[in-house]
Amino acid sequence: MKEKLKSFRELGVICVLIALIILLTIARPVFISPTNFINVVRQTVQIGIMAVGMTFLIISGEMDLSVGSIFGTTGMLAATLYKSNVNPTVAFLVAILVGCAIGLLNGILVTKTKIPAFIATLGTMKIFRSVAYAISGGQSISVFPESVMNSWVFKMGGSLGPIPIQIFIMAVIFVVAGIVLAKTETGYNMYATGGNPKAANLVGINTDRVKIMGFIISGAVSALAAMISIAYLGSVPTTAGEGREMDVIAAVILGGASLSGGRGTMLGTFIGAMIISVVKNGMVLLSVPVFWQDGFIGVVLILAVLLDTVMHRKDSRG
Amino acid sequence: MGAYIQFRNITKKFGGTTALNQVSFDIQEGEIHCLCGENGAGKSTLINLCGGIFQPTEGQIFIGGKPVVIKTVEQSEKLGISIVHQEIPLCLNMTIAENIFLNRKEAVKGLFLDKKYMNEEAAKLLKRFQLNLKPTQLVEELSIAEQSIIQIAKAVYYKPKILILDEPTAALTDDQRDVMYAVVRELVKTQKTTVLYVSHRLEECMELGDRATILRDGCFITTRDIKDLTMDDIVTLMVGRKIDRSKKRESYVRDEVLMEVKHFTKKRQFEDVSFQLKKGEILGLAGFVGAGRTEVLTAIFGANRPDSGELYLEGKKVNVKSPADAIRHRISMIPENRRDDGLIASMSVQQNAQMVVLDKIKNGIFLNKKKSDALMTKMTSDYLIKAGNPSNPIFTLSGGNQQKVVIARWIANHPSILLCDEPTRGIDVGAKDEIYGILRKIASKGIGIVIVSSELPELISLCDRILVMHEGKITGEVGGDEATEAGIMRYAAALKDDYQYADE
Repeated sequence: MKEKLKSFRELGVICVLIALIILLTIARPVFISPTNFINVVRQTVQIGIMAVGMTFLIISGEMDLSVGSIFGTTGMLAATLYKSNVNPTVAFLVAILVGCAIGLLNGILVTKTKIPAFIATLGTMKIFRSVAYAISGGQSISVFPESVMNSWVFKMGGSLGPIPIQIFIMAVIFVVAGIVLAKTETGYNMYATGGNPKAANLVGINTDRVKIMGFIISGAVSALAAMISIAYLGSVPTTAGEGREMDVIAAVILGGASLSGGRGTMLGTFIGAMIISVVKNGMVLLSVPVFWQDGFIGVVLILAVLLDTVMHRKDSRG
Repeated sequence: MGAYIQFRNITKKFGGTTALNQVSFDIQEGEIHCLCGENGAGKSTLINLCGGIFQPTEGQIFIGGKPVVIKTVEQSEKLGISIVHQEIPLCLNMTIAENIFLNRKEAVKGLFLDKKYMNEEAAKLLKRFQLNLKPTQLVEELSIAEQSIIQIAKAVYYKPKILILDEPTAALTDDQRDVMYAVVRELVKTQKTTVLYVSHRLEECMELGDRATILRDGCFITTRDIKDLTMDDIVTLMVGRKIDRSKKRESYVRDEVLMEVKHFTKKRQFEDVSFQLKKGEILGLAGFVGAGRTEVLTAIFGANRPDSGELYLEGKKVNVKSPADAIRHRISMIPENRRDDGLIASMSVQQNAQMVVLDKIKNGIFLNKKKSDALMTKMTSDYLIKAGNPSNPIFTLSGGNQQKVVIARWIANHPSILLCDEPTRGIDVGAKDEIYGILRKIASKGIGIVIVSSELPELISLCDRILVMHEGKITGEVGGDEATEAGIMRYAAALKDDYQYADE
């Protein structure tokens, strides 16, 4: 019953996604063409990967507003290192480790100093946005040395046949994260920590450690998303990752996770991320002015959560 | 003089449990009427009926001869009822004066609050209660005792016709208590205020009260003049349930000492608590709510660090810093509040049942569904859990079955010590007996059990030995066989002369 209920939850968002796809295909048949559709999935990659970390965190009852700034800081850092001819593998690892370190900082702030996650990560979001600007001197960074462009790090931006490699990376991450969440003690502890921290603590779960781990994963995947972005674009724009945190959180919530913790799945999050890029792509195809994009995503978000609340109310009535 | 408040055939049911059963009694105008009873006798329920928090299932309340319906707190206030609740509902972020005038028209002048008036009035009130505080001080800066006086002062300020005090002295010093007595007496004398006074400190009832009504298990027992009663009389009236001793309890106590608690002390919670637990022993902790029993239990479990004291397990000193440490030392705890501290609403019956035994259902790093299902089947049959489908959400189960899930979870972890806090609260009789059976069975295997319970018959029928606590200290110990409710209550109320009492 619970199992059915869970899949039913995802069924809701899946229906929303399919409905959007059908409507867009009717309005603009080109939407469903392989080229365009592959492009839509590719546009899901960055939000999707970052949303994996956010899903772990939101299920554990926390959130991370600093992911966009981690994306910016690690992106600028890696780009600077690439430019100065540091071994690209080393540069890549440094960027990922810095992402983890910022995550660790978030985690310690939230669990040890008891600053609410909203405030702690709002603070680090501001701090690391400035750090990103400081690293780049407020400029975008592009044009990398040949040796770097030919390294495996930049292969992440390429394609395997018609399919961009980054889609495979995202798929692997979602599958691994999905298994961790659904099948291991780590995932179990995350659901328990978000569901009822006091009870989780009283059965011996180290809830602080669970949360810190969530923040570290969130930092790591945000850095990875930045690395993929550099490899794909061949540059880092000045405002890299700015405002990204809200799309990421929206994807997770669309996917059925609860901000109060204890609920959510990786499949749901993936669908949520897909809905966001489908909406963005569809609006371009429909020639809707770009400034309506966020507004429409907002409407979809509210409707989806409303639908979920209504359905949930019916459940509890039995 | 005449009956001012009349309770007529008041019954209050919560689902299947009856909190008050056909209670009828009168309170005279201008008297101080004490309400006495054990934990769970129905005192709080009665107060909440007067406060408009609950409505009676049956029966009628009359005030001043007229039938009244009290559906909200506002209606209760309109009738002139002012209640000082046990917990302190003050806004910590606001000043003393602001709290006193919270949601009151008196201080509103036009569109604005008249701060000057508020502060002057509050200052007078503080003086009356001999508090050396400024009206502009924030409530969060005050001690718990000062906060509870502010709450009493706030109730008194509006010159209520009926003042209900629920354990008002729990945090007060003797001097502060005397000041409160004086104010209450003055109110009765000058305003003819009717006071309903609830306290587990019987000596306060003796000192302050005119008459006392005794409740037991939701039923009215008697109303008498205080001057015709002794504290012993009250205790005898409060208990007096017959205990079935026909089923001879078997004792599984072995000689080896399993756990020794030495001089556990934590400020405001408990003081110099020491005891031993032997293998197979079922040890009870009795006392009133707030006596520190739960706090001691959570301190042993590492969820509430004591200021000082030592814990020895099988002769070795151990340092339990967290519940995780306690679990490593094979201590388990069934918490008092299963909804908030025991179970996770967003998880299924099965997930809740297997929280501490994930090791047993793992294959490498993965949780194995087959192993988990097999363990669940075993748990359901061993602990008589009626769960229908174990993948249903946990709160679809009845209270008794929820509690069995919690118990099953902890016993599956093979503890050597099991701490139980109110293990049968809110559970029907059948499930209670099943839980007693489970506890006896694990005691027979040599597991040591400590039980905190407010239900004395439960402790008397289960325990080999009962320790009684009063205001954070152990005040007495009775063996399970000679234990009587009256004997335990006397220790719990810390009555001075502890000569032997015969069973009633």
